[in-house]
Amino acid sequence: MKDRLPFEAELIARIDWLIRLRWLAVVGTALAIGLGAVSFPGSLAVGPLLGVAGFIGLYNLQFFLYLRTLKVGPAGTVRLRHATLFAYIQIILDLLALAVLIHFAGGVESPIAIFFVFHVIIASILLQRRVSYLVAGLASLLFAAIGGLEYAQIIPHHPLPIVGMEVYRRGLYLAMSTTVLALTLFLVAYLATSITGRLRERDQELLESMQVSRAKSEELQKLNEQLSRVDGERTRFMVLVTHELRAPISTIYSCLELALSGYAAPEKAHEVLARAQNRATEMLGFISDLLSLTRIREQAVQWEQVPLTQLESVLQEVVDLMKVEAERKDVFLGVDVAPDLAPVRALPDQIKLVWTNLLSNAIKYTDPCGIVRVSLSQDAGQLIGTVRDTGIGISPEDMPRVFDEFYRASNARLVSPHGTGVGLSIVRRIVEKWGGKVWVESESGLGSKFTFVLPRADS
Amino acid sequence: MSAKGDILIIDDDPDFCEVVKTALEANNFAVRCANDGLRGLAMMREKKPDLVFLDVIMVSPTEGCYVSDEIDDDPDLRQVPVVMVTSVTDSKYIGLFPTDRPLHVDLFLDKPVPLAKLVELANRFVPPKHVTA
Repeated sequence: MKDRLPFEAELIARIDWLIRLRWLAVVGTALAIGLGAVSFPGSLAVGPLLGVAGFIGLYNLQFFLYLRTLKVGPAGTVRLRHATLFAYIQIILDLLALAVLIHFAGGVESPIAIFFVFHVIIASILLQRRVSYLVAGLASLLFAAIGGLEYAQIIPHHPLPIVGMEVYRRGLYLAMSTTVLALTLFLVAYLATSITGRLRERDQELLESMQVSRAKSEELQKLNEQLSRVDGERTRFMVLVTHELRAPISTIYSCLELALSGYAAPEKAHEVLARAQNRATEMLGFISDLLSLTRIREQAVQWEQVPLTQLESVLQEVVDLMKVEAERKDVFLGVDVAPDLAPVRALPDQIKLVWTNLLSNAIKYTDPCGIVRVSLSQDAGQLIGTVRDTGIGISPEDMPRVFDEFYRASNARLVSPHGTGVGLSIVRRIVEKWGGKVWVESESGLGSKFTFVLPRADS
Repeated sequence: MSAKGDILIIDDDPDFCEVVKTALEANNFAVRCANDGLRGLAMMREKKPDLVFLDVIMVSPTEGCYVSDEIDDDPDLRQVPVVMVTSVTDSKYIGLFPTDRPLHVDLFLDKPVPLAKLVELANRFVPPKHVTA
């Protein structure tokens, strides 16, 4: 993306325009000469005048051809230099041509000296502002030279048919004309360069603001995409939650309906009501998991106010709770805690959720006589917690998704048909929130090893 | 008294299976349960049921539809009436169904289905028998 106006391309475009204009000038000059020749036969230096016109036409043709090759060439500083030089040459030749025309059409008394104004303006359009002043100066000098030379009779004077012979010998008149011309030309140079300078600035500003708005619009588009992605995620979340809540409730309803309907014998009705109660308990667990999820996400973190938590003390609490379940299932629960552990910055309730989810999963998915080992250690920068089990493991297809919300591996469903797949996503959210990471290594049928790390709060 | 007919329930929710089984058995039907689509299809091929209650969303959101397709593709099973039961009525979720193919179902119901309705459907779809094994 260019961040400046392509001055080079602009210059070439303007040169192109100037060459076209010059064709018009040639034709106009020729017509004027023709008209003069017809109106005042014999008194106009038609020959030399036409000669100059022809000369202009000739060099314009050269310019035209040269421009063609210039346009085709490669863009770059070399081409810019060539184009600039080309512009200078054109301007100088034009000045000289006009000077000669003036000489043959009346000299100091010739009104066509006014045409120098064009050259000044063209210079400001084509090139920098200094060039414009240079052109103004050069034009004034040329005019003064012609007047002076004719005055000194070094070169002959060619009067205009309508004007008398004496004026060119009036030194005062020469001085006056030259001064007025010079003043006019310099003023025009000033005005023209101001205007074109302003235009250039304006163009540059416009280009810059266009680029800024383009960048902003790209940013906006990205944000939009992000927003609709988040929105889509939220919808998907809602749909999944709705399903996960609706299914157990309709089952509970059917259980109650059966008990009330009389289709079931009393013992059956009792069994069915017990099932309904279990589902209800699970649902309550699910709902509180959901609340945890949202609370974790929404809590703003002010680091200084976050308490220091010792992972091992929270672990001890959770192990005491889990011991009962492990014993009931005849699963061995072993705990290894390294000494002198540093604390972490985290909310202790959330750390408790991490340990609880990891340990309860390990016990749940391990068969009787299996082993669950928990260890906690540290290195220079972080605390490392692992939970290993000899349970059902995780297949390679399920591995990347186990931490996803509501995701349940197929073998997990066999062991526990009603789980909602929220536990591991809670673990991940909490660990990541406090600056850590969690991951799993596992082999289907052999067991899993969950590891999480959290940054030390003493380093 | 011999059973009026043989009904197969394919649903991953064991509690739902138990409830419906009890209700239908109380109305003199023989009931089998399968907890996933593949098992359900195997049981259908083992002994063709007179009616199938099929849950839409089991392990994956499209499992029910997959089973329904398989039933449709099998000339032997195609004649078995299938009632689809689902706990999803959210219209957005419906969009997940491959609705460009017709589902081979005779009826589509929302959970919870009143037990009386289930019994009525069983009576309606199961052909009357004079002698049952």
